[in-house]
Amino acid sequence: MVRVTFIDAGGIVREIEASEGISLMENAVAGGIDAIEAVCGGNCYCGTCRVHLTPEWYERLGGPGEYEGPVIETSGDGHPRVRLSCQLTVTEALEGLVVETPAAQS
Amino acid sequence: MNAEPAKCPYGHGQKLGRDDRKSARLAEANITPQPGSRVVGDFAIGREVLRSAKVRQAGAHADDTDLSRPDEVSFFFLDGDLHRKRRAAVAGLFAPKTIVTRHHAVMHRTMDELVARLQEGKPLPLDELSFQMAVDVTAEIVGLTDSDSNRNLARRIKSVLDSSLDRKPGRIGNMIFAAKMLLRVGRFYRKDLVPAIAARRKEPRDDVISFMVGENYSRKGMIMECLSYGGAGMMTTREFIVMAAWHLFDNPDLRTRYLTGGEADQSAILEEILRLEPVASMLHRRAVEPQPGVMEEGEVLCVSIREANVDEAITGPCPFELDPDRAKRMKVAGPYMSFGDGPHRCPGAQVALHETRIFLDRMLRLPGIRLVSEPKIIWNSMIQGYELRGALVACDPACPSWYA
Repeated sequence: MVRVTFIDAGGIVREIEASEGISLMENAVAGGIDAIEAVCGGNCYCGTCRVHLTPEWYERLGGPGEYEGPVIETSGDGHPRVRLSCQLTVTEALEGLVVETPAAQS
Repeated sequence: MNAEPAKCPYGHGQKLGRDDRKSARLAEANITPQPGSRVVGDFAIGREVLRSAKVRQAGAHADDTDLSRPDEVSFFFLDGDLHRKRRAAVAGLFAPKTIVTRHHAVMHRTMDELVARLQEGKPLPLDELSFQMAVDVTAEIVGLTDSDSNRNLARRIKSVLDSSLDRKPGRIGNMIFAAKMLLRVGRFYRKDLVPAIAARRKEPRDDVISFMVGENYSRKGMIMECLSYGGAGMMTTREFIVMAAWHLFDNPDLRTRYLTGGEADQSAILEEILRLEPVASMLHRRAVEPQPGVMEEGEVLCVSIREANVDEAITGPCPFELDPDRAKRMKVAGPYMSFGDGPHRCPGAQVALHETRIFLDRMLRLPGIRLVSEPKIIWNSMIQGYELRGALVACDPACPSWYA
């Protein structure tokens, strides 16, 4: 299991034990992180599972993929380090990951 | 091994709980997977198939489609990068933010018109009202906004896409069908598509036709794309709105919850109705590479949406009961597999849910609104889905509203 911390827009901190091999989004939903809506179920279409990364984590994980970028753009989220959590697969390399969630996903 | 049958823990007396589905019996009697295909009813495996990069579209005429000229083929039949690129190019039109900031206005404008018609007091066909909503919203997204009127556009679209029920079997039947179809598609092209294209050549807008004009789509390509969006956005949403209304008219407690709950609760109710009553029943895929434990190369798989949506591994107990709290409790996306999954998941899923939510919210708040006659449920073998016809709604303004 991999420890991941979610901080919502109100500053409330939640830590989950994420399973490796599945997406951060699925782990978040299973862990009861309400700020992750994921209305398309993890198909990189809706942009409602956005997370904001710290500069360090963004550098380690890289920017959005080819199909992810346009979805983030249409969401209107102007944060400089946004990723879709459905596109981040949990591995042991994510141990200690801290992400912030936006005030609203849609 | 003596396996115990599943029992409903809520004491409903049946092994799988109450069955709230209205379309299940008809579907079970009529559903016809593609010959030679293997039916997958397990949710997890079905999802793996639909998300796999090792499958291609099958069924729904996909096997007869000439993919050598992709500019003449709807995105629906494409796979891989080309499919993804085409969808990504118009993804913004379906984004949740766009739905709220742009499409809600169209939905409310249509409802203003429909509410005024209902307030005249005469019983009106519910499927015509729901179709008008679906047409108005889809027309805006696609860019079919230069027709003589949206009612006429709706009529022409319906004459093309509804014609499957008129089709007679045999060679002569097919010839007559093809001739009729040519005329109907021609009429749609001249009256709806040509003016829309001309307007966008002068001034591009943010819609699908503007994108196609910019990409120099062929005439055939544009027709195919518009009819694909029309079929998906108009015909299926029409049925779902009527189905959801039928459940809400039938169930006073559910209706009360719908009208007193917030948007999230309304959406949860609609998604749960859709889980039980998916408009599309199955999705076919052809495996182009083997995937151990899932599929063999060349195999055609029929993912049964209806079976996957009641798979207890993902629904929990009493899978046939309408329980709007189920998805949240089970921590899954509410519609389950009703909009498909993977790269071909319905692009307009959220649009359909929003328009259904607004349609029903506005209609059910009307003083004295009632279901005068229930719909007749019929099976469309071409699309392998249910159709609901004959439902009439009326409102008597002298009666109090259920909820203000």
